[in-house]
Amino acid sequence: MAVRLCRLNDLAEGAARGFDPQNTGQDTLLVVRQGERLFAYADACPHHGTPMAWRKDAYLNAAGDRIVCSAHGALFEMTSGRCTLGPCLGEALTPVPLIVHDNGEVHLADTFQETCA
Amino acid sequence: MNIIGPDALVFGVDDLVACRQYLIDYGLHDAGNGRFEALDGTAVVIRQADDPALPPGLGTASLLRETVYGVADTDTLDAIEAELKRDREVTRRDGVVRCADDMGFALAFQVSVRRPLLLPGERVNAPGAEPQREPNALGLWPDMPARPRSLSHVVYFVPDAAKAEAFYARLGFVCTDRFTGVGPFLRPAGTMDHHTLFMIQTPPFMKGCEHFTFHMGGPTEVLLAGTRFVEKGYQSFWGPGRHKFGSNWFWYFNSPLGCHVEYDADMDLHDDSWAPRDAPMGADASQLFLFQYREKWAPSGPPPAGPSR
Repeated sequence: MAVRLCRLNDLAEGAARGFDPQNTGQDTLLVVRQGERLFAYADACPHHGTPMAWRKDAYLNAAGDRIVCSAHGALFEMTSGRCTLGPCLGEALTPVPLIVHDNGEVHLADTFQETCA
Repeated sequence: MNIIGPDALVFGVDDLVACRQYLIDYGLHDAGNGRFEALDGTAVVIRQADDPALPPGLGTASLLRETVYGVADTDTLDAIEAELKRDREVTRRDGVVRCADDMGFALAFQVSVRRPLLLPGERVNAPGAEPQREPNALGLWPDMPARPRSLSHVVYFVPDAAKAEAFYARLGFVCTDRFTGVGPFLRPAGTMDHHTLFMIQTPPFMKGCEHFTFHMGGPTEVLLAGTRFVEKGYQSFWGPGRHKFGSNWFWYFNSPLGCHVEYDADMDLHDDSWAPRDAPMGADASQLFLFQYREKWAPSGPPPAGPSR
């Protein structure tokens, strides 16, 4: 059974949100909504594998067009997760496959367990 | 040369609103004009990244634009200016000497703005020692203040740690300890603090600020301020724990300033009779112990039902 994250309408346009689907006590993935598109990545910077927000859900730059790791300011492209500036230059965030159902429910695809293991 | 330590760190940031709230919640005082001060007047200064008054950036993800050192007197400023003019461009205006170090970090030197502090450190009672807290004086209370006291140190990622160290040696910084092949902990002549500058050798594209920290009044204040910071939603990175080199308690957080921001306390003091240690970098060399925040909990609840009759 795929894990439910939220409803699509729970995600604000242009904003990011962290989730802790395995109840680890620490968000382990982030989702960014741009229109009807969702981008989801493991909340782990390729540099040290550590969480990237500076405060709960604070994953984006001021313009909202880049994911930022607030450990050392690394910048990542929204669509590819590729690091364009920072200690992990050239590396990429690990994408997390999501399923958005017709009724607006957002679920993790079953592979997340392996992705974040 | 009587350099005391960092008076201020100047950042050119992407999100001024976020950085302002962050620094206030960290515990600094909003002194206006982008300046956020500790109790002794040392500070973090934030400007919009494209502010033309800022020194140029490092061309990396780092947002640090200038490290401002406080020195004892104008004689020290004269000596710094004379030494640096031997091989680089140096300006002096309104009492501030400016240049860049050998790695390209913008530096400023001024007669220190630090205000003298007269505050007790953390006071501890222990068998065998005279009590440090008088009877009925509490060690902890719910709204106990835990404010950053003084800007302690800054840590740089540098592409050539040996060359970078040689530059600071010209200004009287001495190595107190060293992580082999990584970089030195440096102490300027005007303080006995174990370090005000630590450098970590990295590839050139990482050049910048790894973290900075302010001294707190003791380990309890580190834990208290850090706990309050987590409870406001801020992201812990490493700690709380206690470092081996320097013996300082630590707790590091992510920040919108492009580097980690730390609370620290109770750093070792050294004088010129100290012989630096040298150790390979690693988990055991970095800390004596490490803990992690957890939500408050207490053993409680109804008593066990007992065996059924």
